[in-house]
Amino acid sequence: MTGRLWPRGLRARLSLTFVLVTVLGAAAAAWSSAGSASTALVTSTQRRLTESIAGQIGATTPQLTYPPDQAALDRLRAAVGANTLVTYRDLRSADGAETGLVTEALHTAVRTRDRLVTQRVTASGRPWLLIGTPIVITGPDGARTPSGIEVYAVRDLTGVERQVDDLAWSAAGTAALALPPAVLLALLAARSVLRPVRELRDTARRLAAGDLAARSPPQGADELAELTVTVNEMAESLQTSMAAMRRMQADARRFAADVSHELRTPLSTLTAVMEVLATAAAEMEADARESAQMAITETHRLVRLVEDLMEVSRFDAGTARLRLEEVEVGNAVRDCLRARGWLDQVDLAAPEEIPLRLDPRRLDVIVANLVGNALRHGGPPVRVSVSATREQVRIEVGDGGPGLPEHVLPHVFERFYKADAARVRTPGSGLGLAIALENARLHGGDLTAGNASGGGARFVLRLPRKREDG
Amino acid sequence: MRRIWPVVAVLVLGSCGVRPSGVTDAGRAPTGVAHGVTLYFVDAHERLRPQFRRTYRLGTVPEAVSLLLFGVGDSDLHTEIASVAGPRILATTGPGLIQLRVPLALREVTPLGIDQIVCTALGVHVQSGGSRRTRVQVRFTLSTHESEKRRTCPLIR
Repeated sequence: MTGRLWPRGLRARLSLTFVLVTVLGAAAAAWSSAGSASTALVTSTQRRLTESIAGQIGATTPQLTYPPDQAALDRLRAAVGANTLVTYRDLRSADGAETGLVTEALHTAVRTRDRLVTQRVTASGRPWLLIGTPIVITGPDGARTPSGIEVYAVRDLTGVERQVDDLAWSAAGTAALALPPAVLLALLAARSVLRPVRELRDTARRLAAGDLAARSPPQGADELAELTVTVNEMAESLQTSMAAMRRMQADARRFAADVSHELRTPLSTLTAVMEVLATAAAEMEADARESAQMAITETHRLVRLVEDLMEVSRFDAGTARLRLEEVEVGNAVRDCLRARGWLDQVDLAAPEEIPLRLDPRRLDVIVANLVGNALRHGGPPVRVSVSATREQVRIEVGDGGPGLPEHVLPHVFERFYKADAARVRTPGSGLGLAIALENARLHGGDLTAGNASGGGARFVLRLPRKREDG
Repeated sequence: MRRIWPVVAVLVLGSCGVRPSGVTDAGRAPTGVAHGVTLYFVDAHERLRPQFRRTYRLGTVPEAVSLLLFGVGDSDLHTEIASVAGPRILATTGPGLIQLRVPLALREVTPLGIDQIVCTALGVHVQSGGSRRTRVQVRFTLSTHESEKRRTCPLIR
């Protein structure tokens, strides 16, 4: 689940970052250009207005009576235009309601600086440009002295403001325009980055699933390509060592199989000789008879061991085959016990009829092994119970002995495992439980070992009622 | 991540509108008012001398030159420009140059007389806000190369 969410998260994060950066960049660029454009716009408008006023004043003044009377001031004011205030000492000529906007700071600047000054103000939501200037007297030698005439003009900047607003909106529009290509590019970039990541993930999954030949071709020369190469190298060395290990395992198994096979022929001869020896044993001396008996027992054990080894080899080689037949489980178990003469030592509880398709020979091997162990190592009473649910058949073998020690439990199904190191001479081959487990698994079932709550070992064989391939 | 968008909006909308400003300088104050006009005449030692005429206004360059051509009046100064009847002066002010068309032939003025005209014209030009480096071209009635000369006033540098 996380494996599928992760690349999506990465893509989303990559795309989001890319889009954010692009749009922010576009917005910053658009904003800054709009900002400088509007500053330039305001500046040029201001310059135009002040130059026009200075020009109008300059064109009028040579014809202006000096010192001026009220009529002269009115003439000058009319020349400058609407919203203009002209003062000379106590005389004052004003036009327009907006002349009241002229600030004290502007008045002071005009009186003290002898320069043309401007100030932007906002009144009743509209921007205004205040222009103030004294008129100076220039002598023929160029000396400038104040004349005492001051001109104040108020000009509306609403038109400029509208242009500036348009600029800002077009900047926002430009930034917004960058969004779709940014998304597209982000998706493309994310894809180009994520494709190798996804390929690498698929390769890693195939490796994890056991396909050691899985590789992903490295593309380009970036960090991802390096990672791909590294993963490929890792897979390569893994494959090599796995192959070596398998080869060694196969060799070992084949050796065991060969050995047991080679032993069979001399053993059958030996068995025949032993049978002859057994018939002759009755006429022997007591100690010679004992030796002969021992040789016969050990030979039987050897035959059993070789047979078990061959059985294990078949499991290892995967050549063990099931011969399925329809049997009644309770009867099969009873037949197994009866064949070995255990019916009077074992409590069998098989209350219902359970038909099941299984390999009767293998079931016999399992039951015989479990019951044999219980009789040999555990204590009486030995109980075998057969029960069934809808999914599985359950055969439980328990005894009244001391049970299995905790440290033994994990190892009981291992080959040649001896619970008690001192008890080497047991009649079993040491392969019985391993073969029983393999047989159970061959049926698609399972065999587990444990201890009953009241003491005593308990082995449970579970066989599925409906096999996947049956 | 989500906190970025208001910032972007503020940045974009922040550039909107015309913001108020403090008082900023916007250039030289206009000029041009004057108590009167200054004309230039010649004294006994053949030197240019300014003479102030209280006209209560500066007037234009042609007006001042007309006044000059009208004569010195009652004074110890004299003019070196022949008097002409009904003087009509045309003045064209271009960048860095004032072209004066005077109803005089070259022989009717001395070089000092030309200086009188140039200084008077340039004086008015400077007083009405013009540059002192402006040149004056005095064009006479009869064609002469003196008409093409670009002159300056020795008193106004």
